[in-house]
Amino acid sequence: MGMNLRTKRKIRRLVDKVALALSVAVLLAPCLFVFFWMVSLSVKYDIDNTAWPPVFWPEQVTFDNFAKVFDESPMLLYFWNSVQVTGSATLVALLLGVPAAYGIAKARAHKMAAVLLLSRMTPGLSYLIPLFTLFQVLGLIGTVWPIALTHMVITLPIVVWIMIGFFETQPHELEEAARIDGATLWQAFRYVALPLSRPGIVVGAILAFISSWNNFIFGAVFAGRTTRTMPVAVYNMLTFESFAWGPLAAAAIVVMLPVILLTIVIQREIVQGLSAGGVK
Amino acid sequence: MTRDSIPRPISRRRALQGAAATTAAWVGGLAAPMLNTVTAYSQSGAFNWQRFKGQTVEVLMETGPRADLMKKYQKEFLDQTGIKLGIEVIPEQQARQKVAIELNSGKPSFDVFNFAFHVQKRQFEKAGWLQDLSPWLKDSQMMPAEYELGDVSKMGMGFATTSDGQINALPILCDYFMVYYNKELFAKKGVAFPKTMDEMMAAAAKLHDPANGIAGFVGRGVRNANVVLWTQLLSGWGQETISRTKPLTLLTDTPDAIAAAEYYKKMLASYGPQGVTGFNWNEAQGLFMQGKAAMWVDATGFAAPVEDKTKSRVVGKVGYGLPPSGPKGHGSVTFGTGMAVPKAAAHKEAGYFTMLWMTGRAMAGRMMQVGGGIPFRTAPLKDPAILSTLTVPKEWADCAAGCAPLSMSGLPVIVPVTEFRDVIGTALTNLLGGADAATEMKRATAEFKPVLDKSEAA
Amino acid sequence: MIVFPWIFTIWMSLHDWHIGSKQTFVGLDNYIALATNRRFLESIGHTIYFTILAVVLPMVLGTVSALVFHKKFRGRGFFRTIFIMPMMATPVAVSLIWTMMFHPQLGVLNYLLSTVGLPPSEWVYSPNTVIPSLILVEIWLWTPFVMIIVLGGLASLPTEPYEAALIDGASQWQMFWNITYPLVLPFLVVALIMRTIDALKVFETIWAICNGGPGTSSEVLNVYLYAQAFAYNQVGTASAVVVVFFAIIVALSLILLWARQKAKWA
Repeated sequence: MGMNLRTKRKIRRLVDKVALALSVAVLLAPCLFVFFWMVSLSVKYDIDNTAWPPVFWPEQVTFDNFAKVFDESPMLLYFWNSVQVTGSATLVALLLGVPAAYGIAKARAHKMAAVLLLSRMTPGLSYLIPLFTLFQVLGLIGTVWPIALTHMVITLPIVVWIMIGFFETQPHELEEAARIDGATLWQAFRYVALPLSRPGIVVGAILAFISSWNNFIFGAVFAGRTTRTMPVAVYNMLTFESFAWGPLAAAAIVVMLPVILLTIVIQREIVQGLSAGGVK
Repeated sequence: MTRDSIPRPISRRRALQGAAATTAAWVGGLAAPMLNTVTAYSQSGAFNWQRFKGQTVEVLMETGPRADLMKKYQKEFLDQTGIKLGIEVIPEQQARQKVAIELNSGKPSFDVFNFAFHVQKRQFEKAGWLQDLSPWLKDSQMMPAEYELGDVSKMGMGFATTSDGQINALPILCDYFMVYYNKELFAKKGVAFPKTMDEMMAAAAKLHDPANGIAGFVGRGVRNANVVLWTQLLSGWGQETISRTKPLTLLTDTPDAIAAAEYYKKMLASYGPQGVTGFNWNEAQGLFMQGKAAMWVDATGFAAPVEDKTKSRVVGKVGYGLPPSGPKGHGSVTFGTGMAVPKAAAHKEAGYFTMLWMTGRAMAGRMMQVGGGIPFRTAPLKDPAILSTLTVPKEWADCAAGCAPLSMSGLPVIVPVTEFRDVIGTALTNLLGGADAATEMKRATAEFKPVLDKSEAA
Repeated sequence: MIVFPWIFTIWMSLHDWHIGSKQTFVGLDNYIALATNRRFLESIGHTIYFTILAVVLPMVLGTVSALVFHKKFRGRGFFRTIFIMPMMATPVAVSLIWTMMFHPQLGVLNYLLSTVGLPPSEWVYSPNTVIPSLILVEIWLWTPFVMIIVLGGLASLPTEPYEAALIDGASQWQMFWNITYPLVLPFLVVALIMRTIDALKVFETIWAICNGGPGTSSEVLNVYLYAQAFAYNQVGTASAVVVVFFAIIVALSLILLWARQKAKWA
């Protein structure tokens, strides 16, 4: 009997393990396949990219597609533009958003939070025409600043949303003690709440960074030849006179690489922070 | 950015003017008139390419062979004129949006740009956004003999002329519709190239072989883009989309229009590939280049990729043929592209020089040579120096030359042409899903009529 | 920055303005025209259809994957990183890759179907399959987002109730339904709200993959709005669409927020 039970348990554990492995495999397969296919397209000539049956492993690896991407457009400039736009949109979102979130969380001003949520809900497209007109009047068109400014419409609500969650779950005791000791609200924020919420700030910054980096539509309308951001540059790889899968895939990889690398480096913080932000 | 780095003594005043103009455009929706204060004319002498040297011209080009050529030879232009080019290249659809928004703002970021006569001309004309070039074309200081203005085809100049007689663009490229066909597949089935539309239908039926993944016919099925394939078929009934006289009347639900729609439906639904409803020219091209479609009807500009060994499996097997004739007519729908200088541009004269160079004789020849398209000129089409150095088959050039006398208008010249294409295009897409041709064409025509009437009344 | 566009939009929605011609005040005409515009009304239908699928499926799959990734196993961090990569990927770029995969003759997806003996699909190239195919992309992109939020909920669970339940001999399913589910519910609601807002606003993927086609079969509100504003240059009509669209989003979000408060106190 004893033996039997142990074998049963063993089998049960094995079955569990196999089931787990299978489900992990099933969950990861679509993700891996799309990325694999993207890489595969990018290192083959188009004649193989459109072949049937498809060529999965290139017989002849070529980097021509990547060369084409860098030859045909000043990718490094676009990269720099993206860094400027995303960097400043993230920075300003943090500078404004973190104190704002603190105020909202402490004052329990849910109406304010709702207003911010509204701005997250507004379709980005609806900003385009009015803002374009505004930027023209201000003479900003042709620089990267209109793009950075519009990206703040995206980044700010993200930071505030996540930070409110953080501040609300923080223990109040420390700050209250500080307030009793005569600290102002600002001081309580600066010296007590802020250091405690570092993980939240990291996540807010990352998510703001990624959503700004990946944004296409604002750049598409506001960017000119010298102010284009990376996603716009990728879309522009769609050529008029021919079907160009290889260069497109190569461009897609170039634009995604920075955010993917970022994800790999700090995935733990993202997972922790997003979940904490969700508690609210 | 580059433009701002050029010293401009009165840039502050210009900026203020720009802002004022923008406000005016924004408040009143009026075209913003701007005075040209930048360039000083030299008072005498003959045409001199170096006249506006030192300026930087911002160019907005739609993605395509023209833009590639321009980039390739910009150094040559700089040496010739001392004008530096800043070339922005963006895909057609985006470029059209950008041009409209920027011109409307009264302060475009470009000095010269290219556009499609059939899509944008009327809108620009009504808004008065473009510089009238007529005085310059007559001015010997502004028009070099080497441009051979007289060689530009009548049709091209017609496209570039507004309804009140101004010339506000220079034609650069003319796109006809032709038939690309796979000679190998034709030979295998013993099919001759069709001369009539009935023969084309019969040929498609014979060549269609879904078991082996071969479509008898491929063409645009996707909404909007599909309209021009239908108007090509409609030319076989000798008809265009809209009346030539005012008031403009839609001809999209006439018995002939419905017959053409039925032909379109039968051809694509019976002998087209699966999913053709979502095909634009690029999906169609991909299929044809893989040798999986026997015939493909589309514009002339695609010879280069079709004959490119790194992309195409049908290199050397492609035939180029005239569109077949229909029961009542024989046509090849034609689309024109031009270049223009906005009234509000910062460097109008230098922009105009850039345009002279791009639409001139030498560049036209180069465009031909690489199969990039057919210029609105007659001399390059007959020039042996060009014809002997084509990088695409000569059959292509011959076919394009043969299309010229068959030329018909493929789209109505109206302001809301994109809506026209979307509404009629949706009807055509519905046909491929099994809808009735007469019902759909009548419904779409009724749906679009108020839009047209409103736009004509404005 | 936020207020100016709104004043402008509302003002413009009362005008007839085609870019390049004069603006004329028309009162509520734009709204009245929209009320009978078949294409506009259909786009509302498409938006609702799309949103329901694009919310429910990632929610279910995201929750399931969170349960899987909540288990401890070797290499969990590594696999989880791979799993969340799609949500970080640039949507426009991803959409273009999917478009290539969807090609009915040359695309890799139909080849994969054929290897398991299934007939080819027309994917985004047929009005019948376009929305479900777009949903595939949406699931691919956003399941990780739901997963992460739910994972956070699972991580915050106390262990005591489970120990008690185990002693009482409760089954796995009973434990999930009676303990895990109610405790994780607030997290699910957060994910639901975010997902709904994003799904309602979907634009870039649909625009880049099929631009609302074939025909208008996948034209959601945002894509319709884009056509009016930037393809037709009808700023007046487009502004009216924005106002109606926004009203729909606000109404839905209020319902969801209300549900969230309920869940919090439940």
